[in-house]
Amino acid sequence: MRVEINLNGKPFAADVEPRMLLSDFIRHEACLTGTHVGCEQGGCGACTIQVDGRAVRSCLLFAIQVDGSTVRTVEALSDERDGALHPLQEAFRECHGLQCGFCTPGFLMSLEPALASGPLDDEQAIRDAISGNICRCTGYAGIVDAVRHASNTIWNDPDIGTVDDLGSLGEDAPRSGAGDE
Amino acid sequence: MSEMIPRLVGQRVKRVEDPRLLTGRGEYVDDVHLPRMLHVALLRSSVAHARIVGIDTAAAAELPGVHLVVTADDLRDRVQPIVCDILPPGAWQTSAYPILADGKVRFVGEPVVAVVADSRYVAEDALEAIGVSYEELPPVMTVTAAEAGPETQVHEAWDEAWFTHKQLRVGDIDRVFAEAAGVTRRSVEVGRHTGMPLETRAIIADYNPSSNALTVHMTTQMPHIMRTGLADHLGMPEHQIRVISKDVGGGFGVKAELYPEDILVSHLATRLGRPVSWVEDRREHLLGTIHAREHFYELEAAWDESGRILAVRAEIRVDGGAYSVYPYSASMEPGMAMGVLTGMYDVPVYHADSWAIATNKTPLGPYRGVARPSACFAMERLMDAVAHDTGIDPLELRRRNLVRADQMPHTTPSGLEYDSGDFEATFRKAAEILDYDATREQQEELRGEGRYLGIGVGSYVEQTAHGAAEFVKRGLPVIFGYDTSRIRIDASGNVLVHPTSHSHGQGHETTIAQVVADALGIEIERIRVVYGDTQDVAYGSGTLGSRSMVMAGGAAHLAAVELRDRLVRIAAHNLEVDPGDLEVADGEVRVKGSPATAVAITEIARWAHHRPERIPSDLEPTLEVTSSYGAPPGTGAFSHAVHMALVEVDPALGTVQVLRYVVAEDCGRIVNPMIVDGQVTGGVAQGLGGALLEEIVHDAEGQPLTTSLLDYLWPTAHDVPFVEIGHLESLSPFTIGGIKGMGEGGAIAPGAVIAGAVEDAMRPLGGGFVRKVPLTPERVLNLLNVDPTGRVPESHEENQK
Repeated sequence: MRVEINLNGKPFAADVEPRMLLSDFIRHEACLTGTHVGCEQGGCGACTIQVDGRAVRSCLLFAIQVDGSTVRTVEALSDERDGALHPLQEAFRECHGLQCGFCTPGFLMSLEPALASGPLDDEQAIRDAISGNICRCTGYAGIVDAVRHASNTIWNDPDIGTVDDLGSLGEDAPRSGAGDE
Repeated sequence: MSEMIPRLVGQRVKRVEDPRLLTGRGEYVDDVHLPRMLHVALLRSSVAHARIVGIDTAAAAELPGVHLVVTADDLRDRVQPIVCDILPPGAWQTSAYPILADGKVRFVGEPVVAVVADSRYVAEDALEAIGVSYEELPPVMTVTAAEAGPETQVHEAWDEAWFTHKQLRVGDIDRVFAEAAGVTRRSVEVGRHTGMPLETRAIIADYNPSSNALTVHMTTQMPHIMRTGLADHLGMPEHQIRVISKDVGGGFGVKAELYPEDILVSHLATRLGRPVSWVEDRREHLLGTIHAREHFYELEAAWDESGRILAVRAEIRVDGGAYSVYPYSASMEPGMAMGVLTGMYDVPVYHADSWAIATNKTPLGPYRGVARPSACFAMERLMDAVAHDTGIDPLELRRRNLVRADQMPHTTPSGLEYDSGDFEATFRKAAEILDYDATREQQEELRGEGRYLGIGVGSYVEQTAHGAAEFVKRGLPVIFGYDTSRIRIDASGNVLVHPTSHSHGQGHETTIAQVVADALGIEIERIRVVYGDTQDVAYGSGTLGSRSMVMAGGAAHLAAVELRDRLVRIAAHNLEVDPGDLEVADGEVRVKGSPATAVAITEIARWAHHRPERIPSDLEPTLEVTSSYGAPPGTGAFSHAVHMALVEVDPALGTVQVLRYVVAEDCGRIVNPMIVDGQVTGGVAQGLGGALLEEIVHDAEGQPLTTSLLDYLWPTAHDVPFVEIGHLESLSPFTIGGIKGMGEGGAIAPGAVIAGAVEDAMRPLGGGFVRKVPLTPERVLNLLNVDPTGRVPESHEENQK
């Protein structure tokens, strides 16, 4: 079947079997390998991407289910800035929010819409926002710090802090990182 | 030994590797897409113990898109099973881990049939069309059952149930026990866990028949050891094999073994002349990647009136699973547990027996901390039990038994050479961070309000960066003696470092660059650290055993110093000054006290490559140096730490909330405090998983009940508090810069600490001795049926469950 999507701002289409997972479609058809697959059980969140502005787990969707949708993957974050890091990515680096890096794209794609909808600086709220993503390396401390740091950067600094800078997301993007698939 | 003059070493340098990983531009194995690549799926044993009566692959082979279906019959004489025996002498029984099960299966998940197809989807379709008939045998699912002499041994030729049995006898233990003021006895055990990196195992093998060259992309912590293993098991010349391991999504020890799939996929590529890929799925990971822990301890301590431990007697049994793993053998786990058991405590008399016992489970091997988390759990449970039996505060009892700073260097009864450290100071630091006395008062107050808080204490000494001496003692067939780093300065004055260590989250691209930057006096931006490709990197051990910073970092320092000397000599020759009058800093070689007289390193680099007439005639002209380092005498640099936790238990639900977690640690000179804290916190998170959540469970028939992330629970952001960390720095006398390893430490103590804390919380309710982690809600509630000395009528029953 033909699947046509807007992928990171550009049209992309391929003929695939109906059973092809969206994660495989992105990784192996579109060859965007920043989206990682950790379990194919919906249990780890590493494959989280955004479909029409919402964070979803790409291993729990078939590619054909997103035909006609707008899909954003981790590559978009810096591509939209001509290769510069997004404030959230900068914050992950500043706060040591990653070690092996395998889970990181999933965290970023969960958090970007959460941060776009308003400041996220309360520890419990941050932990809620990332509770759908597993990190096996960091113990989450650096990630929680990074979210707080990014939230301050995005929402308090007039030079960086407009929601438009965060990409193509709407105001009603969900806060929770866990996908609603 | 050349001295280290820290400039960037010790600084919180942001990681060099981060931008690549943050933007999704890392290169993990499954990100490699090769033209004409085929995909493997594996049919794995559905039963724990059986003879294979027949395998019917005809229908599968006929499916469109299927290229090859192979069983053990197709591999015979083409590849060798994995045999990993200890070096003699030693009580040992061998096992052969087949590449595909040959006549018999010995655990659920053992590979039986491989299908190669156009896609993984088609390959998995084909698995459905394969029929395997089994004649089931009684499974051996516990060490108790194995020792009882089962109807059918896991390995028929064996006389005993064990791979290995080791003994240690130091001192006249019977006399000490007879004369002691008291004796404390307990049985404890640690559940079966696994490392569970976010990235599962993966391998892509690409064979070029015209040059007989095999290129293998694999998720491994040790590319060269894998290359040798592949060469041996495939019967290929090693120089025809190139192993590439770029970005690896976490290792934790479970990617530091040679697995049947590695040999199988490489073989299939050579057979088909096309690239072949296998990516493990998470269910396969829980079945087929090594398991860890599952230790059983019978412990006795003899003590005097003041609570001083006079002697310890231990029996240690490890459920080793079905096969001995390469390159460690099944002996590493019990041998190490026996060796490190006494930890920070001065135990003059010590007798121990240890066994690795074969069962019909997935093979067992190293996972962050290796045997230490279990041994620490056992010793600290024993200390808490002695505290209970003597009525002494658990913290005070521990202090009374510490090896003192004035006893350093200290040889333990098992022969470990503790090089440095002030254990009491570290205890003080942890107690200070927690505010131990005030927390005790708070605990008392809250009990009055019906809230049950508990404090747990645990400590360990972590042998790191051990070299040849220690691995020879353990009898490992592969001795990890030294590591090597090669550094070259190119014509434009930039620096390329090839360490033999491998980084899969530890940040070597940054920390090794810090070491090199200091030695060469140049900015870190000019240094690139590249690891993981056997074609670039010198032969080495890869990353294991908390050794990379000491060994590969030390080797990088030595190579950089040698290069610095060459730069200085070239500068001296051209400036017509004595080399002794020069120093290297800020990217130039300059006259001490007269910095205006200087040559830029970029200039010297250009001379070395393009202006050989400017090089002194008695100097090796290249700017490329390879150095090795084994941290002599090779007995290890000993880090240590004290962990404390405050937990709250809900006695109605059996749930445990970790309110605070404190670590006071000493890993010698810290190279990058940000990374050290990250390693500590990440290790603690994994330890908390093993303390409260993670356990691989089998039913009596040997069926694993934990094959998804709904059953095997990783800690989430809600399960790990911020870890409060304090540092002490006692420099190792044995290593360059006094650096010690520290990558595993955080994961060692949490089981012990949480067990002590939960027991402490439950005591006013009549709760008994905690003998096992993880402390699932069910086990917490069951504490109310346990007596304080740990006698649990249903304990063995539970073990069978």
